Amino acid sequence: MSKLRDHPGLVLSPLSFVVVLVLWEGVSRAGWVAPIVLPPPSRVWDGLVILFTASWFPQHVWLTTAETLIGFVIGGVTAILLAIVMVNVRLFKEVVYPYVVAFQVMPKVVLAPIFITWFGFGMESKIVMAIAISFFPVVINTVVGLESVEENASLLMRSLVASRRQIFCKLAWPTALPSIFAGLKTSLTLALIGALVAEFVTAKEGLGTLITTFSFELKVYLVFAVIIVVSVLGLVLYGLMEYLDRKVVFWRRSHFTG
Amino acid sequence: MLRAHEPIAGAPATTGAIEVRRVTKLFASRNGSAGVEALRDVDVDIRPGQFVAFVGPSGCGKSTLLKLIGGLLDPTAGRITVGGSEVAGPRRDIGVMFQAPVLFPWRTVLENVLLPIEVFGLERRAATEKARQILNLVGLAGRERAYPRELSGGMQQRAALSRVLVIDPPIILMDEPFGALDEFTRERMNLEILRIWQEGRQTIVFVTHSIAEAVFLADRVVVMGTAPGRVLAVIDVPLPRPRSIDLMKSPEFAATVFEVREYLGVAR
Ligand SMILES: Nc1ncnc2c1ncn2[C@@H]1O[C@H](COP(=O)(O)OP(=O)(O)OP(=O)(O)O)[C@@H](O)[C@H]1O
Ligand SMILES: [Mg+2]
Repeated sequence: MSKLRDHPGLVLSPLSFVVVLVLWEGVSRAGWVAPIVLPPPSRVWDGLVILFTASWFPQHVWLTTAETLIGFVIGGVTAILLAIVMVNVRLFKEVVYPYVVAFQVMPKVVLAPIFITWFGFGMESKIVMAIAISFFPVVINTVVGLESVEENASLLMRSLVASRRQIFCKLAWPTALPSIFAGLKTSLTLALIGALVAEFVTAKEGLGTLITTFSFELKVYLVFAVIIVVSVLGLVLYGLMEYLDRKVVFWRRSHFTG
Repeated sequence: MLRAHEPIAGAPATTGAIEVRRVTKLFASRNGSAGVEALRDVDVDIRPGQFVAFVGPSGCGKSTLLKLIGGLLDPTAGRITVGGSEVAGPRRDIGVMFQAPVLFPWRTVLENVLLPIEVFGLERRAATEKARQILNLVGLAGRERAYPRELSGGMQQRAALSRVLVIDPPIILMDEPFGALDEFTRERMNLEILRIWQEGRQTIVFVTHSIAEAVFLADRVVVMGTAPGRVLAVIDVPLPRPRSIDLMKSPEFAATVFEVREYLGVAR
């Protein structure tokens, strides 16, 4: 009880959600807003039921999830490898890093139509989009992480006459892991955005396609239902990364105190 | 267990003598203006098994000199030999302890202590037993599986000390190892160092800001001055061994402290 008194948000936050839902339902039922513009929550719920009972729905979810994860894994792994090479080969970094920063700043969604042209209407163009958008945060976070080794720690390794390989495996890599995971968490969310945007442009299947199709058909309640599914998918993916992060980077300060 | 002079795999057999001859160290500045002369014409002789303390004001080059001896920096001019061979880079017969414990947060205390063993490629099983004994000796029994952040500052420095001792280096360089600890913990750590040195008879070079600490621990105190960093005096400490805290009350102790202080006063 005292805990609730100390943190009124614990009650007020869900309560406000319920209040908004009730108001929204009321406004819609009273006819102040056309249901075709803003369907009431009960109608969105019907939409969710329709989706989850439809035999065609799971394959759309799987496809978008697969595009996101494949893009994320390919993008993440190559990003980490590229960063490792950059940190170890000075000249390579001096040549390549400016481009990495430039690409990082560029809004990658503009590439979606080109990728469709190059890689077709299928899954490949979505994966490439997911790679393109999730790649750069990981490169930059890995470089920053690998370069954040403390002066004293590297002096210690040098005083032990450690090889470059030992210094990397025993010091630089673990030092970089918290930063790498921060990059990976951002990237996974971005990969989902990439896959969806590419699906918006052109696709036969996927959650992004469902959103565009239902919008054209003016089935706004179904659009809302898909948006909810996409949000939950994003949350689940992020939760998985958060879990992995806590397991792998178990020594991070916030995890102990949090 | 803590006998110092068993040869270490891959390390040259040395007797632990250190000779610093007319060593000068310049740090070039980044913007091209005149660099810093951290040390000028420094001469120091340290006999095997001797406990030597460096004292001096901040910026007089104590850390620089220690890194030069440890092969972590190259001298601009002059020559340093350890056990008769010229120092040309880091070497495994020299153990180094820094002001910060520098423990890796992803390793338990025991794993941190075993780091040098892994890096040297030595057999882990035998070393683990030895590491446990050393942790007992420094009062960390039962904390082998703790992570560094679960330890107090004093305990972390004990772990760092264990990491040096596990490889039995004949020479140990310590850069203000207890500077960040409170007075009380610091005193206890000093007594522990003396006990370990009494058993192992390593050559110890100990950098400190505290004159009393230097006099209490060392056979010889090297007094340094700034701008440029140089040796002002080398003072032999006429106190008997083994030493206990009571010794700090003796007139000889006070006289030696005063002597060191006078030299440092001249430096200003
Ligand atoms: N890597 C470096 N590059 C440039 N200048 C340096 C470097 N390391 C030390 N110096 C300079 O050399 C001088 C001596 O530094 P050093 O760290 O050896 O002093 P110190 O006696 O250990 O001081 P403190 O007691 O504060 O630790 C200082 O003027 C410092 O600014
Ligand atoms: Mg220093």
